[in-house]
Amino acid sequence: MWEQRALYVAISPFYILFAVFGLFPIGFSLYLAFHKWDGIGVMTYNGLNNFKYMLTDAEFWQAVGNTFMIWIYATIPMLFFALIIAFLLHAPFVKFRTLFRVGYFLPNVTSIVAVAIIFGALFANNYGFLNYLLQSVGLPVVEWLNAPWGIKVAISSMVVWRWTGYNAVIYLAGLQSIPQTLYEAAKIDGASGIQSFFRITIPMLRPVILFTVITSTIGGMQLFTEPQILVGNDGGAGAAGMTIVLYLYRESFINNYFGYGAAVGWGMFLIIALFSIVNWKLVQGKSS
Amino acid sequence: MIRRKRTCWTAILLVCVMLVSGCSIWPGQNDSSSNKKVALTLWYWNRSIDDKLIAKAKEKFPNIELTAQKIGGDFKAKLKTTLAARSGEPDIVALNDWIMELFPSEDRFYNLYDLGAGDVEDQYLDWKWKQGVTPGGQMIGFPMDTGPTALFYRADLFKEAGLPSEPEEVARQINNWDAYSAAGEKIKEKFGGKVFLTDNIGTVYNQVLSQGTERYFRPDGSFIGMDSPLVKQSWDTAVSFKQKGLLANADGWTPGWNAAMNNGEIASFVGAVWMKQVLQEAAPDTSGKWRVTRAPGGDGNNGGSFLSILKSSKHPKEAFEVIQWLQSPDNQLEQYKTLNLFPSAPGVFDTPAMKEEEPFFGGQATGPVFAESAQHVPEAFFGERYPSVHNIITRRLNDIAKQNANPEQVWPDTVHRVERELQR
Repeated sequence: MWEQRALYVAISPFYILFAVFGLFPIGFSLYLAFHKWDGIGVMTYNGLNNFKYMLTDAEFWQAVGNTFMIWIYATIPMLFFALIIAFLLHAPFVKFRTLFRVGYFLPNVTSIVAVAIIFGALFANNYGFLNYLLQSVGLPVVEWLNAPWGIKVAISSMVVWRWTGYNAVIYLAGLQSIPQTLYEAAKIDGASGIQSFFRITIPMLRPVILFTVITSTIGGMQLFTEPQILVGNDGGAGAAGMTIVLYLYRESFINNYFGYGAAVGWGMFLIIALFSIVNWKLVQGKSS
Repeated sequence: MIRRKRTCWTAILLVCVMLVSGCSIWPGQNDSSSNKKVALTLWYWNRSIDDKLIAKAKEKFPNIELTAQKIGGDFKAKLKTTLAARSGEPDIVALNDWIMELFPSEDRFYNLYDLGAGDVEDQYLDWKWKQGVTPGGQMIGFPMDTGPTALFYRADLFKEAGLPSEPEEVARQINNWDAYSAAGEKIKEKFGGKVFLTDNIGTVYNQVLSQGTERYFRPDGSFIGMDSPLVKQSWDTAVSFKQKGLLANADGWTPGWNAAMNNGEIASFVGAVWMKQVLQEAAPDTSGKWRVTRAPGGDGNNGGSFLSILKSSKHPKEAFEVIQWLQSPDNQLEQYKTLNLFPSAPGVFDTPAMKEEEPFFGGQATGPVFAESAQHVPEAFFGERYPSVHNIITRRLNDIAKQNANPEQVWPDTVHRVERELQR
C-alpha cells in the first residue's frame, strides 16, 4: 500500500502541471467568457453578452471566413505536394534519400517570424521580389498585400512552405508500412503502376491521410503568427488576413476585452470540433 | 522493502525541495543582502531613457539600489499581465502614449500629486502634464518626452514643382490643409504621378485630428459622437487626399515606406519630432534634401511617454525622487542630446543644444520649429476608449485608400461599428 502511494506521488508531477497549466486555464477561460474584464480591474458578470456580441459581430464572421479560405488555399496544395514528395522519396531510383528527407523537413524548424519577414519581402507591393519578377518579364505588378485574395495567398504560401515537408515525412512513414507483398501480388495479377497506386497505396494510407488532414485543420484554425507578422494586428488591408486567433489576440490584448477574447476562444473550439468531425466523416468514407 | 520505500520518498522530497527553492529561497536572500539600501526596480523600453543617465542616477542616489530593467517585446502586454497577476510589479514603470488605457485602474498607481509633483508642475508643458492626470484628478504619469508635430518636406522636390522651398515661405503659403492638398496636386502634375505628396491616409487623418481640441470623448466619459465636426473634418480631409491621388499608400515601419522615402517618391509628411530619427535611418540617400516647418493646419502631438509609480511599491517617496531627477529639465535636455528625446520642459528650449544645425536637414536647425510647435499643442482629452475607437476609424480609412472602398458606404458602416463598440 505504502509503495503504491509513493508511486502515485511519483507520477503526480504530470497531473499537477496539467492541472495548473492545462485544466485551470481551460476552466478560467470558460469563467472569463461570461464576464467583462479589462485585464487589470474588477471582473463583472456579463451573462451571455459576450457570446451574443460574437454571433452578431461582422468582424468575427469575417475572421472565420478568412481562416477557412486560408485553410483551403493552404491544405489542398500542401497535402498534394506532400504525397508526391513522399512517393518520390519512397521510389527505389532516388538516391541520397536521407539528405532529401532532412531538406524537406528543414522549413518546419525555421522560425515562423523569420519566415514571415522573408515572405513579406517577397510579396511586398512596392519593391517586392515577386513584383520585380513580374515586371522584368513585362507583366503588370500585383498589389499582393492590398488585395483580399493576395493577402490570403501570401499567408497560405507560408503555411505550404513550412508544413509540406513535415507531412511528406509522415506520408513516407505511412508508405513504408505498406507490405511490399501487396504490390508484388498486384504485379502478378497484371496491375499497372497507376492502378496499384489508387487501389493499394491510397486505401492503405487512409488513416495517415486522416491524421494529416485533422492536424492541418487544427493548425490551420489556429493560424496566428504568419498573419500577425505579415500584415499586423488588424489583419492588413480590409482585414483580409484576420484569422480567428489573430482576432482573439487583438480583442484581448490590444483592445483589452479579455472576457470577449475568452468567448471567441470557445467559439473557435466549437468550430474546430465540428470541423474535425466533418473531416473525419469525409475522409473515413464508407469503407470503415 | 522498507529501504526501497525510503529511497523513493527521499527522491520525491528532493524534487519538491528543488522545485520550491527555485521560487522562494533566492529572492529571500536578495532581500536580506540589501537591507540597508532602498531597493527600487524600474521598467523601461530601449531608448526611452538614456542608459548613461540611469548609471548616473545610481551615483546620485547612493541610498537607493536602482535596478533598471529594459523590457523587450510587447511592453504594454507585459505590463498588463504583470498588473493582472498582482505580483512581480516594478516600483517605477515607463508608460507610452497609451497611458489613458490605464486610467480606469488609477488605484493601482500612486497619485504623484500626493508625493509633491505639484511643486514642479510649472516646469512642464501644460497639455503634456494633463495627459498624465486621470479624469478623477489623480496624477499617475510624470512627463517624459513629447512628440510635437511639424511638416517634413523635400525642399528640392518642392522647388522643382514650383512651390516655395524655404521653411518660412512654406509655412506661410501652405498654412492649411487645402493649400497643402493643392501643393500636392502641383507635385503630382510636375512629376507625372511618380512622386506623391504624402505617405498614407492614416497620417493625414491622425494629423488633422491631433490639431483639434477634442477627440471622441468628453472628460466625463460621454461619447461626443461621430458627427463631431473635428472627426468629420479629419475624415473628409483624409478621403479627399485619397481621391486626389496624393497618397503613396506606404505604411510606416515597413520596408516599402523606407524604400519610397529613400527613392524620393514621397515629397512630404506631417510627423512627430521622433520621425527625424526614423527618416534618417530609412532614407540616407536623401540626406540634405529635407526641411522641417510648421505643419499646415496647426500644431499637434503624436506620442511621448510618462513615468509612473505602482501602488505595490514600498518606497514611493524615493521612487518619486528618482523620477523627478531623471526627468528634470536638465536631464531631459541631456537625453535630447543623446537619444533625440524631445523635452517636455519648455525651460530648456532656448539652450544652444536645441538650436544645433543638422546636415540631414540641409543645415537647418529643426529644434526651434518643434519647440514652437510643442508650445502650441492644443490640449485635448483622450479617454480610455480612445484607442479602440480610433483604431476602427483608421482601419476603415485604409479600406478606402487601399481597396478603393466607396467612402459614402464606408462612413455609415464605420459609425455603426463605433456605436457597437461603445455598447460593449
